[in-house]
Amino acid sequence: MNMDPISTSLPTPHGGAAAAAPPGHAAHSDPSAHAPQPSGWPLLLAFGIGLFATSFFLLASGYHVMPLFYLSALICVLIPALGWATTIARERHHQDPVYTYRILRRGFFYFLLSEGAIFGSFFAHNIYLRYAHAKTWPPVGAPYLDPHLAAIGTLLLVFSSFTYHWCHQAFLKGKKALAKNWLLATIALGIIFLCIQGYDWGKLKAFDKFTYQHGAFGSEFYWMTGFHGLHVCVGLLFLSLVYYRMETNQIDQTYNFSLTAAEYYWHFVDIVWVLLFFVIYLL
Amino acid sequence: MSTADAAVAPAPAPQAYSGLMDWLTTTDHKKIGLLYLMFAFVNAWAGGLFAGVVRLRLWSPNSSFISPHLYNEMLTMHATVMIFMVIMPAFVGLGNYLVPIMIGARDMAFPKLNAFGFWMMIPPALMMYASFFTVHGSARGGWWSYPPLSGPQFSPGAGESLWALAIILMGIASIMGAVNFLVTIADMRAPGMGWMDLPLFVWSNVITAWLLLLAVPVVSGVMVMLLSDRMFGTGFFQPGLGGDPLLYEHLFWFFGHPEVYIMILPAFGIMSHVVPAFSHKKVFGYKGMVIALASIGVLGFMVWAHHMFTSGISPQAQIFFSTTSLLIGVPTGVKIYSWLASAWGGTIDFTPAMKFALGFIALFIIGGLSGVMLAVVPFDIAVHDSYFVVAHLHFVLFGGSVMGLMAAIYYWFPKMTGRLLSEKLANWHFWLFFIGFIWVFMPMHWLGFEGMPRRVAFYRPQFAPLNRFISAGFLLLLAGGIIFTYNVLHSLRKGERTSDPDPWGVNDVQQSLEWTTATPPKPWNFDEEPEFVPAHD
Repeated sequence: MNMDPISTSLPTPHGGAAAAAPPGHAAHSDPSAHAPQPSGWPLLLAFGIGLFATSFFLLASGYHVMPLFYLSALICVLIPALGWATTIARERHHQDPVYTYRILRRGFFYFLLSEGAIFGSFFAHNIYLRYAHAKTWPPVGAPYLDPHLAAIGTLLLVFSSFTYHWCHQAFLKGKKALAKNWLLATIALGIIFLCIQGYDWGKLKAFDKFTYQHGAFGSEFYWMTGFHGLHVCVGLLFLSLVYYRMETNQIDQTYNFSLTAAEYYWHFVDIVWVLLFFVIYLL
Repeated sequence: MSTADAAVAPAPAPQAYSGLMDWLTTTDHKKIGLLYLMFAFVNAWAGGLFAGVVRLRLWSPNSSFISPHLYNEMLTMHATVMIFMVIMPAFVGLGNYLVPIMIGARDMAFPKLNAFGFWMMIPPALMMYASFFTVHGSARGGWWSYPPLSGPQFSPGAGESLWALAIILMGIASIMGAVNFLVTIADMRAPGMGWMDLPLFVWSNVITAWLLLLAVPVVSGVMVMLLSDRMFGTGFFQPGLGGDPLLYEHLFWFFGHPEVYIMILPAFGIMSHVVPAFSHKKVFGYKGMVIALASIGVLGFMVWAHHMFTSGISPQAQIFFSTTSLLIGVPTGVKIYSWLASAWGGTIDFTPAMKFALGFIALFIIGGLSGVMLAVVPFDIAVHDSYFVVAHLHFVLFGGSVMGLMAAIYYWFPKMTGRLLSEKLANWHFWLFFIGFIWVFMPMHWLGFEGMPRRVAFYRPQFAPLNRFISAGFLLLLAGGIIFTYNVLHSLRKGERTSDPDPWGVNDVQQSLEWTTATPPKPWNFDEEPEFVPAHD
């Protein structure tokens, strides 16, 4: 176990250090360039989200507030988010791409772990009610959840994970046209999946009169599939963004983290759905 | 990567703002750390005054000072503010300031996300305080907010819903912060610094970040369910609709118990710096300390139902959770013995930081031991929901977390500001806090044994003398708080200046880089990237 004082080499203001800089750190002669750039977007985004949450709260509580308020709240989220993204895209050329890719990938992976924990709380809720609380499951009066259509959706979503993987591979090999086709296929499959889910929801609501107020069973069904559906929507936005960046040549062999992030996200959405399908429709 | 290295253009010198704009747009981890600390400081006054109102109401058994309704609001908001808006952000702030410097990094991995994490604390904090002004007042179901008490029937109005929404928003901030810490520590260590070379405060932040990453999302999910039960008529926790309130307790404490360690592990890390530093010895048993931290983190996920021994769980579950809770005593004991061994035989400097550290050890041992008592099912059933539990939790959260936090502030204040705090005032602060703390919270053990229930605005007349004694003791804590506030605010402007990189002269026994750079550190932390040379002994 090491307890020695730490050696800091003497500051050498100019020259030499640049060549000797370790990988993962951009080389500079002026240390002040290491200070991070200030940005007002984080503050604006945080307050936009606060405003958005407040307006959602007012809407859900039945207060009468001008629609303009909701609209401006949405704008207060979108503008900082876009501004932030633009800043990052601009600043990336000052960073070591390998190092940036590594920290972004790790950060995104950890973020997905926490997303998994949110879904975990819903799964735990379902499993607990099913095995430790309810006398019968599904409860008396709950409609039969037909797995056939959902099974087709599951297959399509699983297949879309493969099409995206092929898109990623093709892009890394430089076959951009092929990559774009696979990406479009992925987006199409995602949209078809959403349509199937929407049809399923509509059928349950219209024919079985089954809503989220239909006891804990209905709440779980709609919240779990709905929360997942929300993730599919975000995933589709993500994929469209990747397509746009391919189209406008904003990503290339070196700078392509958005491709990887979308891949992680899409696989995550896929894995969660397989578990959801198993727990909700089959178990 | 030779081609990519060539592609990297040198960054332009950062834009410079000054004054307020500088603080609003900063992405410097040190300034964000200070913002977190200021945020915690302001909220600590609010939370402390709420506690004062509670103590005033309890001055007499049937007081007319405030209504029981307002008493419940004060009780709930005291706990919520202290947990989510004081202790958590204060430790996140300290970690923000110190972790990158300790590992020799220029900043956190994602400086803008870091700023976002801090600013994301402001809207929920405003929501919490704004909820006082809604029709039915703020949340009043306790910081645990068990349904059906927190459900639509028994907690009507916007307060409880705003509370749940604010917890969700703060959760976003915590998760972003945890991701940032984990990536920073994994990928930005100085060349040559391995995992087992990390200072123990950094290690405590690694474990805390993992707990945040995996526990906070669960409470976010639970709060979404609670909120939709209240606002949209879903049945997640409503017994009449097939939901189960007991399940809420399980899910809440699955977050709530790791949360307890989120609030104490950084203090453990601080202790492992302060005690060796002022004993002028190296920390005893580094590896054991790391293993103890990690095992507390893992065990922390397996003990949640010890909060529920009287809620109706099976005897098998009681035995399991009792055993795992008792097991946590082992790594915690390892840590306490290591601090004592670190101080053993050293020449001890009784600086204010060291006094708070020793106060921590004394008080935390008491709180830890009452925790071991509470882990035993029959004992817990006897004192559950009594003031004994209030005493226990304040011994670990105030005697532990807050004393540790104070030790950290007295220890690192000169580094952060380049000014020294008044030692005389600091000593007054310590003794007022230490004596005031024991005065207020020690008698609560006896009240608990006598059978005084917690959370209730009324009590039987025979408890009045001890309650008055406790309420009077609050004044000592208040005086300590005022002195501390004055000391900090005064020293920030008029304190004695220092530019010594190592103002305490402790770097020969410390294993951390913050004492090798300028005081206060420059925005880029190190003029030359530090290289860590591990010595093999």
